[in-house]
Amino acid sequence: MSKSKSFHDQKMIVKPGRRLLHFIPLRFVQKRVKGGGKRSVDIALNLTPMIDFLVVIVVFLLMSFSTSGEIPVDKSIRLPKAENTLDMLDAPMVAITGSQILVDGTPAGSTRAIEEANRLQRIDELFNILKSKRELWKQVHDNSQPFPGVVVLQVDRDVPALVVKSVFQTAAFAGYPNVSFMVDRLPKSGG
Amino acid sequence: MAGVSVGGGGGGRRSVDSDLNLVPMIDLLVCIISFLLITAVWSQMARINADAQVPGPPDPDKEIDPSPPEKMLHVEMRGEEKFTLIWKQGATVVNTVDVPRKPVETESVVRFPELATKISEEWKINGSHRDASDKKLDQAVLHTDNKTPFKDVIAVIDAIYTPKRELAGANEPVPAFNVTFSVN
Repeated sequence: MSKSKSFHDQKMIVKPGRRLLHFIPLRFVQKRVKGGGKRSVDIALNLTPMIDFLVVIVVFLLMSFSTSGEIPVDKSIRLPKAENTLDMLDAPMVAITGSQILVDGTPAGSTRAIEEANRLQRIDELFNILKSKRELWKQVHDNSQPFPGVVVLQVDRDVPALVVKSVFQTAAFAGYPNVSFMVDRLPKSGG
Repeated sequence: MAGVSVGGGGGGRRSVDSDLNLVPMIDLLVCIISFLLITAVWSQMARINADAQVPGPPDPDKEIDPSPPEKMLHVEMRGEEKFTLIWKQGATVVNTVDVPRKPVETESVVRFPELATKISEEWKINGSHRDASDKKLDQAVLHTDNKTPFKDVIAVIDAIYTPKRELAGANEPVPAFNVTFSVN
């Protein structure tokens, strides 16, 4: 028998295969290494990205939150768009929808008579409603502050200027000289 | 659930790893989101201001001002082809400029950029209230015919509001003009 060990016995060349943890003589380690154990049924769900996402949504919604509430706009009215605008305010709303004139949803006359006459005229029904609103405001506020005289007009973009002028003039005669036109806000173009 | 590992422990002592219960927090966030989504206002409504200039008797409460009347810019949009910018001091015409009426229409938006530029230039030359300490604004009066569609009227008012100026006490620039809509 030769005393010199063979190349194979010296483990210079070994069979390829998995080595890591295979020589630890512990049963539970061997079990895990061979893959004999069942996979755990407990699954940890990572909640951090979900909470991050929810917080971002909350911040965005809070930034765009408006306390003034939604302003009712008649669906048949297509408002014109403008860039140099002001924020909306709480004031009586006069809407011109087709041939109807409404004050805060209450019918206040028709535009047909103006278009047929083809001349500027006062709309009596509108005048009376606005005047009664002004008197009501004065009773409520007890002359402690001056009447603001503000009215907001919701006018369709294709309504002729004659109708707008008539409503405008009627509002001014009824004690509302500060007229604002409701528009769709355009983003600032800059420069 | 979320755990906080602070190391140590063992030796029969109570574990110092604590679990934070995130479920109520997520519930709260979902409730806030639902509330904000329901009450959100998505439409961007705004207003554009115009004072009324209506013929009638003078206001008895107003004092008669003996000082000479200020220059006012009258914007005439009665012509089909052009706008006319007239600077008037009382009944005296100081200056008149014609601007071609070239509307730029994009997706139902009408704009008059040439008019806006010209009004800005005119205000820099003829405007009476350009200093930041001056709290008064220059006055512009818009004259239109009866057939003009409302969108064109708004486009012209928007153009008049284009020049901006600094105003002491205001956080951002304010329009240089105050617009009056003439019903004559």
